[in-house]
Amino acid sequence: MKSGTRLVLLTVPGVILLAAIYVWPMYGLGRMSFNETGPTGAMIPALSSKTWRELFADPFIFELTWNSIQLSVVSSTAALIFAYPLALFLFRTQSRWRGVIAALAIAPMLVNGVVRIFGWLAILGDRGLVNAALQGIGLTSQPVRLVYNWTGVTIGLTESLMPYMILALVAGFGRLDRSLEEAAASLGAPPWRRFLRVTLPLSLPAVALGWLLCFVLAMSAYITPKLLGGGRVFVLATEIYELSITSVNWPLASALALYTLVLLLLFLAAYSAMSRRQA
Amino acid sequence: MSHLVLTGLAKRYGRSVAVDGLDLSLAKGESVALLGPSGCGKTTTLRMVAGLIAPDAGSVSVGGADLTQAPAHKRDMGYVFQSYALFPHLDVAANVAFGLDERGVARSEKAARVREALSLVRLEGLEARRPRELSGGQQQRVALARALILRPQVLLLDESLSNLDARLRESMRHEIRDIQRRLDITTLFVTHDQTEALTMCDRIAVMNCGRIEQIGTAREIYDSPATRFVAGFVGRSNELALSRDSGGRPVLDGAPLRLARDPGGAIDLHIRPQHLRLGPAGAPASDAFNRLAGKVAHSVFVGDRSEVLIDTKAGRIVAELPPGDTAPPDGADIVLSWTPDAGHVFVRESV
Repeated sequence: MKSGTRLVLLTVPGVILLAAIYVWPMYGLGRMSFNETGPTGAMIPALSSKTWRELFADPFIFELTWNSIQLSVVSSTAALIFAYPLALFLFRTQSRWRGVIAALAIAPMLVNGVVRIFGWLAILGDRGLVNAALQGIGLTSQPVRLVYNWTGVTIGLTESLMPYMILALVAGFGRLDRSLEEAAASLGAPPWRRFLRVTLPLSLPAVALGWLLCFVLAMSAYITPKLLGGGRVFVLATEIYELSITSVNWPLASALALYTLVLLLLFLAAYSAMSRRQA
Repeated sequence: MSHLVLTGLAKRYGRSVAVDGLDLSLAKGESVALLGPSGCGKTTTLRMVAGLIAPDAGSVSVGGADLTQAPAHKRDMGYVFQSYALFPHLDVAANVAFGLDERGVARSEKAARVREALSLVRLEGLEARRPRELSGGQQQRVALARALILRPQVLLLDESLSNLDARLRESMRHEIRDIQRRLDITTLFVTHDQTEALTMCDRIAVMNCGRIEQIGTAREIYDSPATRFVAGFVGRSNELALSRDSGGRPVLDGAPLRLARDPGGAIDLHIRPQHLRLGPAGAPASDAFNRLAGKVAHSVFVGDRSEVLIDTKAGRIVAELPPGDTAPPDGADIVLSWTPDAGHVFVRESV
C-alpha cells in the first residue's frame, strides 16, 4: 500500500462518524425544507420551494438575523476584552498558582448552562445582588432592569463565552516570545508601545480565532437568550426552537436552520480569506 | 576614564545567589567579555546592565549618570539577544527602523539611516525580507544593525554567536569586532566560549559563581591565571597534586620540585600542555628542569601538531608537542620535564 493511501485511511473513522451524525441528518433537514405545510398546519410531503419563499417573504427573518449577529458580535467582543488580559497573564505567569487560576478561569464550562443562568437571575434580578447594591448606595431608587432583556442576555452570553475565549487565546499566544518585548524595550519602546507594536500584532491570529469561535457559539446559543431573555429576546436559535417544538412547523424550522448554517459558513469563509491574506 | 561602571551588582533568586557583588568598569570604546560556564551569572549581569531585571543591590552608571533606577527603554543601550529576538511580523527594514520610530525620527532621515545600518552589516537589498526568510548569520546581522542604528552608548551582546555554525561564527567574530572598533562603542559581551572572548575583546572578566575571578587582557589571563578556576577554564592545564618531604620542600612522585613561588601549605601545580617537554627515559637529568617519568598512553594528531596522553604516578597528563615533532610510540617510557617558571601554583582548597 502506498503511504498516500495509508494516510487516507486515517480519515476513515471520522468520515464514517460525520456521515452518520452530520451529513445524513443535514440531508434530512434539507429534504424537510422542501416539504409544504398545509392550512391546518399539517406537513405535506412535496418538492416545492413554497417554504423557502415563505421564509424570505416575512421581514421578521431579517430582524432575527440582525438580532443574532448584533448579540454575537457584542458578546464575543466583550468576552475578548475581558479574556485578553487574563489569558496574557495565564500565558506569562510563572506563579505556582497558575494551574489553579487556569482551572478557575475555565471552571464555568463545567457548570450546567441552566444552573449558571439561575445564578445570573439571582445576581441580576430586580431583587438580586447588583440591584441591592445599587439601591444600597443610593444610585437608584427603582430596580434597574438587568434580566429578561438584551442586557441580561448579553451579560450571560459574554460570561459563558469567556472560558472558550481564554483557551483559544492561551493556545494561540504561542508566538509571543518574552525576549521580543525585551528587545522592543532595549530599542526605546515604553510598555504600552511594546504592547501596541509587538504583543498585540503577534497575538492577532489568536484574537481572530478566539473571536470567530465565540461568534459561532453565540450565534447558536439557545439556552441563554431563551432563559435570560424571558421571551422578549428573539434570535435565530430561539426562533428555530419555537418553530419546531411549539408551532411544529418542521419545514419552516428546517429552512431557518439551513439559513443560519449558510450565514455561519459565510463568516467562516471571510475569516479564512482574511487569514490567508495575512500569511 | 571609565564609561560603563558596575558597582557591587548583586542578584539572588530565592536562596541561590546569581550575581554576588560584582564590580567592573569599562573605558569608552572598550570591549570586555564576561566569560564563564553556564550558570555563573554572566547573563544575569548583562540583563541587569540593560535594565531587563532589577538588581538587589549595586549600581549601573554610564558616563557618570546613575542608571540603576532607569527602565530599560530609557537606558540607550543596544542589546543583541542570543535568539536575536527579531520581530517576526516586520520585515528587515522595519525591524532595523523599530528604535527610530520610537524616537520619532523623520521619514527621510529614517530611510537614510536604515540604508546606512544595513550596509554596515552588509545586508543591502534584503530590506523587504521577513526574519524567517533569512539565514542565521543574516538574522544575527539584522539584530546587530537594529541595535547599532540608534548609536547607543553601550552595546550588550548575549551569547550572540552561539547559534551560528563554526565557520560563520569565526567570520562574524571578526566582523563584530571590526564594527565595534570602528564605531568606538563600549561593549560588554557575554560568552562561555573562550575563543570568542580571546578574539573579540580588549579585556576578559572570568566569572564563576556570581563573582569575577580575574579581569585582564587575554594574555594576562592565559599566562598568569589568578585562581585555580581561571587556570582550568581558560585554556587547558594539567593539575598535579604536590606533597611535602620531611624538610617541608614540595615533592612530586618522591622527587623534589623547583617552583617559581611556594605559598606554603598544601599546594597544586597547574601546567599547560605546551609547556611540557618530552624526552626518552634515562636521558641525562638537568637541575634546570623538573622531571616526571611516565608511559605514553596514546597520541592524537590534531592538524598541525600532536597531543600526547601520558600516564604518570601523578595521574594522566596531556602534553602538546611543538609543530613538526613526531609523537613517541604508544607504550614508550618517557620523561616529562618543565622549567620552574612554567607552572602555576595554587593553594589546595580544603573540601
